[in-house]
Amino acid sequence: MEDHFIENLGWVALLLPLLSAVAITLGGPFGARRAAAKISIGAVALSFVASLILFLYLHLTGQPALAETSFPWLIIGKYGELNNLQFNLGLQLDTLSLVMMLVVTGVGLLIHIYSQGYLAGDPGYSRYFACLSLFTFSMLGIVLADNFLMMFIFWELVGISSYLLIGFWYHKPAAADACKKAFITNRIGDFGFLLGILLVWSVLGSVGFASLKLEAAHPNHFGPVATIAGLLIFCGAMGKSAQFPLHVWLPDAMEGPTPVSALIHAATMVAAGVYMLCRVYFLLSFPGSQALEIIGWIGGFTALLAALIAVQQNDIKRILAYSTLSQLGYMVMAVGSHGPTAAMYHLTTHAFFKALLFLGAGAVIHAMHHEQDIWQMGGLRKKLPVTFWTFLTGTLALCGVPFFSGFYSKDSILAQALKNGSYGLFIIGVLVAALTTFYMARLALVVFWGSARSSAAEHPHEAPGVMLWPLRILAVPSVIGGLLFIEATFEHFFAGGHGEAGTITWAEQLLEPLNASPAAALSGIFAIMVGGAFAGALYWKAASDPLPLRLGWFARAMRNRFYFDELYERVLIPATHELWSRIAQAIDRWIIGGLAVRGASGATEFAGRALRLVQSGSLQTYAFLLVAGVAAVIYCLLAR
Amino acid sequence: MNYSLISLEIAVVILGLGLLLADLWIRPEQKTRLGYLAALGVGLILFWSFKFSGVPSASAFNGMFVLDPLALYFQRFFLLAAIIVLIMSVAFAGRIATGISEYYSLIIFALAGMMFAASANDLALLFVALELITVTFYVLTSFQRARLASLEAGVKYLIIGALSSAFLVYGIALVFGTTGQLNFNRIAAVASEFADNRVFLLGILFILVGLSFKLAAFPAHLWAPDVYQGSPVPTTAFLAVGSKAAGFVLLLRLLFTAVPAITERWNDLLIVVAMVTILYGNLCAIPQRNLKRIFGYSSIANAGYLLMGVAALSGAGRAAVLYYLGGYLFAVLAAFLVILLVMNEVEGEDISALAGLNQRSPLLAAALTCSMVSLAGIPPLAGFFGKFLLIKAALEQGAIDPLYYWLVGVAFLGVIISISYYFGVIRAIYWSKEPPVLSAIPVPLILRLALYVCLAGMFYLGLFPNTVVELANAAVKVLAVR
Repeated sequence: MEDHFIENLGWVALLLPLLSAVAITLGGPFGARRAAAKISIGAVALSFVASLILFLYLHLTGQPALAETSFPWLIIGKYGELNNLQFNLGLQLDTLSLVMMLVVTGVGLLIHIYSQGYLAGDPGYSRYFACLSLFTFSMLGIVLADNFLMMFIFWELVGISSYLLIGFWYHKPAAADACKKAFITNRIGDFGFLLGILLVWSVLGSVGFASLKLEAAHPNHFGPVATIAGLLIFCGAMGKSAQFPLHVWLPDAMEGPTPVSALIHAATMVAAGVYMLCRVYFLLSFPGSQALEIIGWIGGFTALLAALIAVQQNDIKRILAYSTLSQLGYMVMAVGSHGPTAAMYHLTTHAFFKALLFLGAGAVIHAMHHEQDIWQMGGLRKKLPVTFWTFLTGTLALCGVPFFSGFYSKDSILAQALKNGSYGLFIIGVLVAALTTFYMARLALVVFWGSARSSAAEHPHEAPGVMLWPLRILAVPSVIGGLLFIEATFEHFFAGGHGEAGTITWAEQLLEPLNASPAAALSGIFAIMVGGAFAGALYWKAASDPLPLRLGWFARAMRNRFYFDELYERVLIPATHELWSRIAQAIDRWIIGGLAVRGASGATEFAGRALRLVQSGSLQTYAFLLVAGVAAVIYCLLAR
Repeated sequence: MNYSLISLEIAVVILGLGLLLADLWIRPEQKTRLGYLAALGVGLILFWSFKFSGVPSASAFNGMFVLDPLALYFQRFFLLAAIIVLIMSVAFAGRIATGISEYYSLIIFALAGMMFAASANDLALLFVALELITVTFYVLTSFQRARLASLEAGVKYLIIGALSSAFLVYGIALVFGTTGQLNFNRIAAVASEFADNRVFLLGILFILVGLSFKLAAFPAHLWAPDVYQGSPVPTTAFLAVGSKAAGFVLLLRLLFTAVPAITERWNDLLIVVAMVTILYGNLCAIPQRNLKRIFGYSSIANAGYLLMGVAALSGAGRAAVLYYLGGYLFAVLAAFLVILLVMNEVEGEDISALAGLNQRSPLLAAALTCSMVSLAGIPPLAGFFGKFLLIKAALEQGAIDPLYYWLVGVAFLGVIISISYYFGVIRAIYWSKEPPVLSAIPVPLILRLALYVCLAGMFYLGLFPNTVVELANAAVKVLAVR
């Protein structure tokens, strides 16, 4: 009885945000529009509480996972027959999904609260919260899905709801373009994902994670297609987690409201790809599969590329966006070097400090009357004390300064790369760490130190409390995230429940990286020092960016994002889009328009009008036709 | 004899009589509200009907009456439809000059006829149940005595109905004359002896003609558009949903219990009738501008789709018929609820009356849109899955008889054609050029609730089809297995 209650709690946590979205959209007449924020916040808060209860229950009872609560959703063919097509809807309640739930609902809750202040007075206030709730629902669906089909459905729902949120200010052309770009780029990845799912399904005969795990456990015919299936599934992650070459949508998506950027691009949507890779890690690490190798290199390349681009961006949100890209590359790299634990660990800590940084950037933008260029800011340290201190905390955590949360998770990735023998990836990792420190220090120095570079920067106004409290709260896990035994929890999970969890003490945890893999930890710290020193030398009280002069064409390339967007726009899109549109247009005009529509509609229209003559309204005609029809039937059946 | 088997029907009849009696004591201005009481009563009976779930099939009155899962499925269907139709009637009461409580009780009596039809296992009960439905509908169609259109509808329904009844009763006489049996099971037992007896076959054919009047299918389909257009809105709604479903349950029982062998031999007839009905309904609907008339043709087309499931001659096909009717109920009742409310505000039933509806009442606009989308068979609403199941059932038989492929082709063609007129309605709602009036349309709470029920039904059936498909599968098991 009690168990049933606990399992159903998962459904409650999943469905509450949906309910909130529906209530806000349909409940206009009952005043739901005005209470939109409260309904939305209430739903996500209750979801958080439900996740917390589930997590504690799981933790205290020591089970690896709660029993699945799945029910048949669609059965095609006769029930109970062997070769029928049956799809289930069910929830996977284990450590992996529940920690992710806590991150999504916890960070999401703070962002919901923050939005209340940021969006105050916007004409689309209630629409915003309805979309936010829909997004939360979709994201929770991905996290909780116990099979590929359900995950794919929610995967697409995330695509839709992020489209709505990024294009929230749809009257701005840039936002309208950005949401289109995000959606289409994601769709390209999703197509690969779908192919991957179909391939896995056709070979292994199942889409449920539990049964797939069983299937993949004993040797079978999955071997030959393991690599290609793994890579196709990775395509999905490539879209959602913005990996090269599908990374172009994420920076543009900064056109959405800043809390949306924080939610989508730090804690949830982009994390979905990495989460999915960890969820199906058993398929990717199938013996003989080369998929992880390739995935690791794509991740490493993305990390390096994005970090280089971030060095020369001037828009505060874009710097953070490229930083997100780079960190996602890091996580994917971790998965690629056989370290889902490290990837999930970094995903969790990154969710805290990146959300903090985005919300901090939002507070700065709010204070600067929607100015986003960092060279228009400066000296904000004194005028925005709360924003400054929390932003600084996030920056230090992101750079991986010792004893902040980022230090531990980043070190875990570097150590994993060493342990796996991927020295190339390790070097990239250290390089990216140095670059990260460099561009984050540049951002902080330019925005918060020096002197005001514009009139807006001289008279900024600190954000209201409703926006500052989420910053303060997020700062706490950003600092102590490394001491919460997150790594041990995941390790326990990925070891299949065999490893020992939580046997180390806090003090040991504090110095764990130095004990476990001193080489990785020391090179990480060294990278931070190098990056920080360079940034300090170049940007301390700088009036303008000195780097373009010193690096010349390379800085220009970095600023222009290595011309990827231009490449896609000038080469890829014309080559595919234009060609297809011509073909489609020809088909449209001549075959569909001419033959099918005009021809067929003309013919049917004519038939309709002709038949109408029959329907004259005259009763005698009707009776006559009835009898004539009966006579015709009798003739056909009996008289011949 | 076990009288408790017909307790649901008895309850319905008592409710109808009670309404007539109550009319004598209630003050005139209170009479409109009697409809809510009637709806409540039907609701209680619906609730009570769940007491019978899981009870083994049983028959009464010498096998004339059966209570099995199939009967229960349809009885609940009729009860649910009647509740919504009664609620509609209350909203419509303003346009009925006198005798509103008789209108309510006639709906209840028609309901009683449908309930009996769901359980009829005998030609005599089949005839009585059908006549109970038809005769009450003669009155219901012409209830707006002051309106010429309503009277015209009544007369047309009466005459075509009488003609069909004549075929029906003649057919019954021929079958009884040759076999000496009226009970379906007993006819089935002797049918093989008469498989080549033309008089017997003619009798069966005549009974089918009589039933095709209820279904609004070829050859007795011509009355539908005229009668749908002229009748009061709640009558049209009940005609479209209840009366049609009653025809189908009788058809299923007759074809698959009484004469399964002949049905298999006549599958070509069923296919051709389905094709003609689909094409006629859809083609004629295209040039229509009158909302209720569109539904008249749509009703014919849907009878054709449903016949496709019957023609498939398989359990899957019959289950699809039951499922499709469920989706059809919600879509059609939602549409008529909207039409009723719009007609209360705007004179005329032209499609242009819908102009600007999305601004006048977003709920009504959304409900009518969902209904159209479901009827057009677009996912994720109920209509899509229903058509999917029907077409799948027909396709599975294609290996036996290639004519089934033609049927599927015609069904697809029909769906495509139907999109044009269903979406014409949606276009009128959202993209009309000049909305003449933009005053908000008030939606009383209880109608709003009815609309929500319909919407929830369409979405639930479309998204989670399994529950109802299972129910339908269980229900059709009682018909002859093949």
